[in-house]
Amino acid sequence: MSIIVGYVPSNVGEAAVAAAIQEAKLRDEQLLIVNSSREGSLVDKNTASEEDLARVLDTAVKAGVSAQVIESTYRDDLTEEFLGLADKHEVSLIVIGLRQRSQVGKFIMGSQAQRILLQAEHPVLAVKAP
Amino acid sequence: MDAKHARHDSTEKSLTSELTPEPQEPEALTPEELAAQWEAEAAEPAGPIANLLSSLVVLGLSIAGMALSVGLGLGTPAAPAAGMWPFVISLIAAVMAVAQIIVGRAGGRDGEKFSALSWYAVIGFATLILMVVLMPIIGFEIPSLLLCFVWMRWLGGERWRSATIYSILIVAAFYAIFIAALGTTIPRLF
Amino acid sequence: MEFFGPVLDGFNVVLDPTNLLYCLLGVVVGMLIGVLPGLGPAATIAILLPMTYGVEPVTAIIMLAGIFYGAQYGGTITSVLLRLPGEASSVVTVFDGYVMAKQGRAGAALGIAAIGSFFGATISIIGLTFLAPLVASFALDFGPPEYTALAMLGILLVATISGGTKIKAIIAAAVGLFLATIGRDGFTGAERFTFGNLSLADGIDFVPIAMGLFGLGEILYNLEERHRAANAPVKVSKVWPQRKDIKEASGAIGRGSVLGFFLGILPGGGATIASLASYAMEKKTAKDPSRFGKGAIEGVAGPESANNAAATSSFIPLLTLGIPANATMAIIFGALLIQGITPGPQLINDNPQLFWGVVNSMYIGNILLLIMSIPLIGVFVKILRVRAAILAPITALITMLGAYTIRNSMFDVLLVVLFGAIGYLMKKFGFEPGPLVLAFVLGSLLESNLRRSLLVLEGDPTGFFTRPISATLLVLFIFVAVWPVIKSGIEKRKAGSLASTIASEKEKENA
Repeated sequence: MSIIVGYVPSNVGEAAVAAAIQEAKLRDEQLLIVNSSREGSLVDKNTASEEDLARVLDTAVKAGVSAQVIESTYRDDLTEEFLGLADKHEVSLIVIGLRQRSQVGKFIMGSQAQRILLQAEHPVLAVKAP
Repeated sequence: MDAKHARHDSTEKSLTSELTPEPQEPEALTPEELAAQWEAEAAEPAGPIANLLSSLVVLGLSIAGMALSVGLGLGTPAAPAAGMWPFVISLIAAVMAVAQIIVGRAGGRDGEKFSALSWYAVIGFATLILMVVLMPIIGFEIPSLLLCFVWMRWLGGERWRSATIYSILIVAAFYAIFIAALGTTIPRLF
Repeated sequence: MEFFGPVLDGFNVVLDPTNLLYCLLGVVVGMLIGVLPGLGPAATIAILLPMTYGVEPVTAIIMLAGIFYGAQYGGTITSVLLRLPGEASSVVTVFDGYVMAKQGRAGAALGIAAIGSFFGATISIIGLTFLAPLVASFALDFGPPEYTALAMLGILLVATISGGTKIKAIIAAAVGLFLATIGRDGFTGAERFTFGNLSLADGIDFVPIAMGLFGLGEILYNLEERHRAANAPVKVSKVWPQRKDIKEASGAIGRGSVLGFFLGILPGGGATIASLASYAMEKKTAKDPSRFGKGAIEGVAGPESANNAAATSSFIPLLTLGIPANATMAIIFGALLIQGITPGPQLINDNPQLFWGVVNSMYIGNILLLIMSIPLIGVFVKILRVRAAILAPITALITMLGAYTIRNSMFDVLLVVLFGAIGYLMKKFGFEPGPLVLAFVLGSLLESNLRRSLLVLEGDPTGFFTRPISATLLVLFIFVAVWPVIKSGIEKRKAGSLASTIASEKEKENA
């Protein structure tokens, strides 16, 4: 059994990973760190650089957690991609970060976190940035 | 082509680490390795059938060209008529087409195979033709909106909301630039 | 001093505010499309052709030229930062440039590329300044047979040197030549292949063909591109190389510039070949060749100087002889025709303002490039975040609406769409659109010169060989035509002996 966490290189993402590491340690499970980037552009701010991923992995390992980084791409639906990975690896817990989003912002641009919360079949831990 | 049936082209790359992490070095691929990587990522060549088909089409067209040129009158080398030059060109094209059929029967490395994604190009073409047909009748705004929306939503994988908003913004911008700023006389509704 | 008169006049032309503005516009647009994947300089120049209708010829060409060499530099940015060559001529820069970026020296790589490009273009322009009048004066003695031979040679060179099968390129050229015959025949007044369609009576306009084949064709083709994963945003600190870097690279820049200048003049040669050749040369002349591929600054400086020098010198055949050296030049040739100017040896004398205006604009343009490349890199990296799905309809609409503004004719838009489909199919089946456009542009000139020659020579084709220049050109033509056949024949024989060597070695192993 493992725990999956969605990582982006931002405060929220770092907070999510930190929380995920704690959970993984508590439950003594493997940790899957997922960084998914959107196809279509050459540069994406949600794509983590190799240094970021190495650092995150390192943190996990130092905490005594066995971790794996998964980099993937999606075309239009992050939620579907992410939940698909969660199903595929049969996780026991999903960890995601929550951004501050206004009502209008959520309406216009949508909220992946909201959709994951509503559509996931596994328990979801939503973490806010400190 | 909506989200539910979109192909999951998710490629997973994993970096695994047991309890002892390995140092991650930036990959310094040699030019040969890079070239090989690009080669692997490139599309497949078109193949022998495509080669035969395209050569046959060229052959057919060039024979037609020759026939039509003869109809125009060839004249003599000293006094060439209207059809002499097109005839010569069509002849060259026909000869080359035959040569290509022979030379390229094994396939070769040029061209690209059609894939499922090629339908996107067909749809794109269809929207463009639609725009040509509709533009004189109802102006450019609505066909452009439709084109933008179709291209972004289905061919590009954008979400409904983003596609709609961007389409409206783009058409508005084009209106501002082409009509308001430049004053061109593109057929329009408003 | 009389020599420099027109040159200085040219600077007056360039420093005119409108021209300066269009130069800036061209360079920025060029860098932009060099950075963005999808459209290349040829496609962009084709799509922006409608813009050239409302302005002076000089202004138009200044802008289009700016796009061309601006794009060379833009392609470098993605090569260095993302290991993705934006242009074919930036492929070589990836090898050392990206490694330098990984080592934290992205700024140095980009900076030396800008400096090298500037230097390369400057050398090229100086060469052009001296060489062009020479070539033009030499070519003033050209008669119809010489032009015929030259045009044929030019088309053949572009067809053979462009990628893909030679045969298919020649077919494409033949199609281009044929398309040029549609319409009224200048000599006899007969209507050819119009099938009664009034819109075709005057022949197919060049602009819709170019916009369709290069612009829409490319756009349709990009629709089916499989996108790869995005990269993380890259931060570039100082975009300027250190003194030590400049010193190390100076030799490469010098060599690359000269090499690029000469390689760019050849029809079909151009920026890509120049960059490859420069890389090879640097590797050979380096004291420590093993550094290449691991962040050697010469590996960036040399090719970048070479490709900009070549891009600039590829204007020479166009402006002095009226023979475009590659597809992009063919489109610019068409742009000049639209303006009512026929490029040829008489251009320098009949229209020195245009000639020197364009040449000098390249100085200014490259200075602008150098100045702007430094602050704009951050902007360009941000622009890279825009998804292709959003760019595609924008470029398509620009093309469609722009096509309409040529003659306020829906028929033109239809032509653009149809040629877009043809361009797409050509790409899929392995036919190059470049030779087609080149041949189309030269088609009517080639035919009229050929018919005139035949009239003068009284129908005797061997007459071409009695005149020294046309004879040389035709001999070259035949040579270039049969060289691939000879080459493959030699290689087959070598491969034959190679195969037997390998076979005998394997036998020895197994024994």
